[in-house]
Amino acid sequence: MAWARQGHEAAFRELVRRYERPVFSLLYRMVRDRALAEDLAQETFIKVLNGIKSYRPEFKFSSWIFKIANNAAIDHLRKKSLDTLSLDGSPSAETPEQMRATSLQLGGKGETPLDEVESRELGTAIEKAIARLRPEYRSCILLRHVEGYSYEEIAATLELPLGTVKTYIHRARNELRVYLEDRRE
Amino acid sequence: MNQPEMHLTTDEIELWAQGLLGAQRAFHLSDCSLCRDIADRERKVILELVQLPRFAPSAGFADRVMAKVKVRAPSGDFQA
Repeated sequence: MAWARQGHEAAFRELVRRYERPVFSLLYRMVRDRALAEDLAQETFIKVLNGIKSYRPEFKFSSWIFKIANNAAIDHLRKKSLDTLSLDGSPSAETPEQMRATSLQLGGKGETPLDEVESRELGTAIEKAIARLRPEYRSCILLRHVEGYSYEEIAATLELPLGTVKTYIHRARNELRVYLEDRRE
Repeated sequence: MNQPEMHLTTDEIELWAQGLLGAQRAFHLSDCSLCRDIADRERKVILELVQLPRFAPSAGFADRVMAKVKVRAPSGDFQA
């Protein structure tokens, strides 16, 4: 980190090498679009590396980069509310049935090579179930179980109260379980 | 099960699913079918989540990032 803070190119490259997969994976699962996830990941790294002087070493570097990546994803999803609608159903839907009825189907037939890759990568039942979660649930559950963060680290990374993080994760797991069990029946 | 206060909490079930719950509390599962059922279902979901793969961006990602980053020291003795 000290080398990176001095602006060394090799240190920057090493940070990109270490974090490109976790950051890209989080973003890809948040927005479910490879090209867009790459754009957001690129934006995240540029912001982090150009602002490396403002990094406070008392925090984990990974928390800092995930925070910026998650903010980029959430901002995007808010701006593109139609994208969110396609995953979660109408914002006015109040029950799971209404949400299901107003949501669009994911993982359709691949029309381009990239669509096919996305369909293959994100077409499993668990990936589809994650896609149905609210974005804030999605980022919490991914940080918890894919990145192995503690509840406290997630709260610090996403700047959420600890109780909120616990609630989001428990609700997310319940929703995932119900969705996966529904599919198996 | 006559002592509902002894049921595992959500946090304890998560610890159990990860193999981190103490033996004394984990023993409750052998007596309580309610907790056992919940814990088994929870473990299935957690296992699916922890096995999710990490994806890689397309080739040349680092170069595209570096092309837009302000580098103050292009060379040096840095070793990862």
